[in-house]
Amino acid sequence: MCADKTYDVVIVGSGISGVLIAHELGRAGKQVLILEAGAPLPHDINDYLNRFYSNAAKVPEIPYTPELFTKDGKSLVDFGTVNAGRPTVLSLAAKGNQLGDWTDPKKSYLVQVGKLPFASTSERINGGTVRHWLGTSFRFLPNDFEMSTRYGKFIDWPIRYDTGPADLRLKPWYDKAEHAIGVSADVKDQEYLGLTFDGPYPMPAIPLSLGDKRISDDLAGFTHDGVELKVRSTPAGRNSQPYQDRRVCAGNTNCIPICPIGAKYDPSVTLAKALRTGNVEIWYRTVACDVVIGENNRVSQIKYLQYQDDVGPQTGSGAVSAKMYVVAGHAIETPRLLLMSRDRQGVANSSKMVGKNLMDHPLYLAWALMPEGKEVFPYRGPLSTAGIEDLRDGPFRKTRAAFRIEIGNEGWNFPIGDPATTTLDFINGSNASQLNDTQPKPQPLFGTALLKKLNSVFIRQFRLGFLVEQEPETRNQVALSTKYTDGLGLPRPEITYDLSDYTKRGFAEAKALATAIFHKLGAKEYTRQAADDPSQFEWPVGSKELIKYYGAGHIVGTYCMGTHSNNSVVNADQRSWDHDNLYLVGSGTFPTVATGNPTLTIAALSLRTADKLIKALN
Amino acid sequence: VIPHRRRRGSRESPQFQPDQAQTAASQETIMTVISRRTVLTGAAATGAASAVGAVNVPIAAIADDQADLQTFIEISAALTGIDVKKLVPFLDPIDIKQTYFNKAQKDSAFNDLLDRWRKRPVGSDAGVLLKDPDPVRYLARNIMIAWYLGAWCDPAELAKYDGPNPPPGPPPTTVITAVAYTQGWAWRAAQAHPMGYSDLRFGYWADRPFTLEDLTGVA
Repeated sequence: MCADKTYDVVIVGSGISGVLIAHELGRAGKQVLILEAGAPLPHDINDYLNRFYSNAAKVPEIPYTPELFTKDGKSLVDFGTVNAGRPTVLSLAAKGNQLGDWTDPKKSYLVQVGKLPFASTSERINGGTVRHWLGTSFRFLPNDFEMSTRYGKFIDWPIRYDTGPADLRLKPWYDKAEHAIGVSADVKDQEYLGLTFDGPYPMPAIPLSLGDKRISDDLAGFTHDGVELKVRSTPAGRNSQPYQDRRVCAGNTNCIPICPIGAKYDPSVTLAKALRTGNVEIWYRTVACDVVIGENNRVSQIKYLQYQDDVGPQTGSGAVSAKMYVVAGHAIETPRLLLMSRDRQGVANSSKMVGKNLMDHPLYLAWALMPEGKEVFPYRGPLSTAGIEDLRDGPFRKTRAAFRIEIGNEGWNFPIGDPATTTLDFINGSNASQLNDTQPKPQPLFGTALLKKLNSVFIRQFRLGFLVEQEPETRNQVALSTKYTDGLGLPRPEITYDLSDYTKRGFAEAKALATAIFHKLGAKEYTRQAADDPSQFEWPVGSKELIKYYGAGHIVGTYCMGTHSNNSVVNADQRSWDHDNLYLVGSGTFPTVATGNPTLTIAALSLRTADKLIKALN
Repeated sequence: VIPHRRRRGSRESPQFQPDQAQTAASQETIMTVISRRTVLTGAAATGAASAVGAVNVPIAAIADDQADLQTFIEISAALTGIDVKKLVPFLDPIDIKQTYFNKAQKDSAFNDLLDRWRKRPVGSDAGVLLKDPDPVRYLARNIMIAWYLGAWCDPAELAKYDGPNPPPGPPPTTVITAVAYTQGWAWRAAQAHPMGYSDLRFGYWADRPFTLEDLTGVA
């Protein structure tokens, strides 16, 4: 460490946007320092794997630090004591729940004060939240960037897919991002709804699973809104050939939370390359806490606090200086840092939009059992290898939210935690899975009857996930808690969240379509939700019918990009309107969540910003 | 290297049957048992371990333990329905049976479980262990949960499913060890592999899986 050194660029955060920019700058000979709030990569990946294997709660956050549980393993850690806390889905249970309680800031890192829980989580560790991503690498559709122009809804992006001024087209940057990550896909399967390509993907597509093929065959000719639903392979940041000195996917069925063999891209791959340039440094367990504004309204330094143990005393503090600054802390921590700067008066916020328009890509989950003789053989291959994308765009976007449909390869693992829940049902004579439905009461089994029963149901399980485009609304926001702090005494993020009727209409459509698809397949639907689950809403209003939503892990929109300083936080280059040498990157700059999973677009925008930064430094 | 190879060779020879492997009181087996008992019972067994050095082996205790392990394996196969040759393979470097045996031994119903199995009427199946809502039933269910999921439950939680208000959800489980998770038979019942633990190759998911019989010995 050399605190006196002046860097070209200081970057806050070692997630995908931070490391892609660091690598480009390092290659260009620029001196870069990354401040990472969380821990470094362990020397042995088995530290992560063992935490995953040995914990009953196989949630996306479980392999990573800081620890989610107290030492006895019986309760969630008090997030007021953790130095670099993070949200977990275990905090999303109903009010009064023993383990997690979404309304209780002792059991939830996010101080949730909205009507509905914000249900997505993020990581504060080397590699950031992309540590636990699925690998899905879609380009956004041309119309995703032009919702206002095309449908009179939301707002247009200041950037386009492949129209308008050459400098403001994202298409060439998507190509670079696909090569930086290493995406496996076939162009012919991805040319739909206006998407065009200039060249092939770096690797051929990941093969479809048996379930994908079964659904594709049995759904042939099925239409919705006049559109034929076609099963397409999903572009994946997962190797189908050796790439970047990494192995080929071996189908461990565990992309989320962790690929055991490194076949799935994660930002530590790019971070290692950045460090090898010799021009990039990283300081771990270093929490940026104040963006200091100096002369000419330019950032003059970033102050930080340091710690050694996840729960323990602060061990250091200081400030670093650079010519340019990049905040890459994702869509909750970035606005938090901006808002807590300058003695809580905030920076980069003349628009008053910092923290506003918090969005998720909320997911409707539906599950079913195929008929006997129509097995899909789940729990094999990557978690998802295909989806139905043809409903990502259409005139319906004037009145209801669009969605894509992800086909799962992991049986009922996501919906009910199988194979554990069904196994426990048939051993104990319970029926949490709804599959042990013997009348008048569920029966316990043993011996070959148990084994054959489990086999018969497991090989027919499948699920569909509908990722719904959430409407941007300023009432949904990240603010600073005035009451609750973290282990370093910094104010925790306070979240206000709800879903609009436009978004809810998208969910209602998803629900009806799921049932129609299951009917066409001859599958028996088992979708249901717990009565006390807080992540659900009544629809239609007054009907007493409830629709549950899940977080997609796609946290978007809290420092949006735009065309003017009065309605956005950054411009199309992701540069602050207020402070010339401050860039804010990551999905927080998305004006809308759009219809694809966000990571590839985060990467494309980051590479474009890196190019702008290098030009500005030269 | 050479003795190791010779040992493998002799075990793989046709004369050396798996059943003999389970019961053979070779010096090697004794050493294994002693070391595991040492872990299990602490100071008292440490004395036994040093007794090995003095060639004063408490053979009776070791034989009892071996017999109990053998009975435990029989019970495990009967409860899970999985062919014993698959459940406890002849070449068994992971040796997860010992982990589960050790876990089950700590349960106060363990001796009753063995007794009930050994004294069962001729021709009866593992149902004799599951008849009454008693501690033996919950230990038997825990043994199934261990083999299928690598997990264990508080017997009091399992007893709730026999009560007047059975819980709507599954019981809370604890994963026995990280290795136990990777050896769960629920995944093979699905003709698959544990999520996050597979030694299959790229693209296998596009082809039909191994049959249930290949994996479990049950057609």
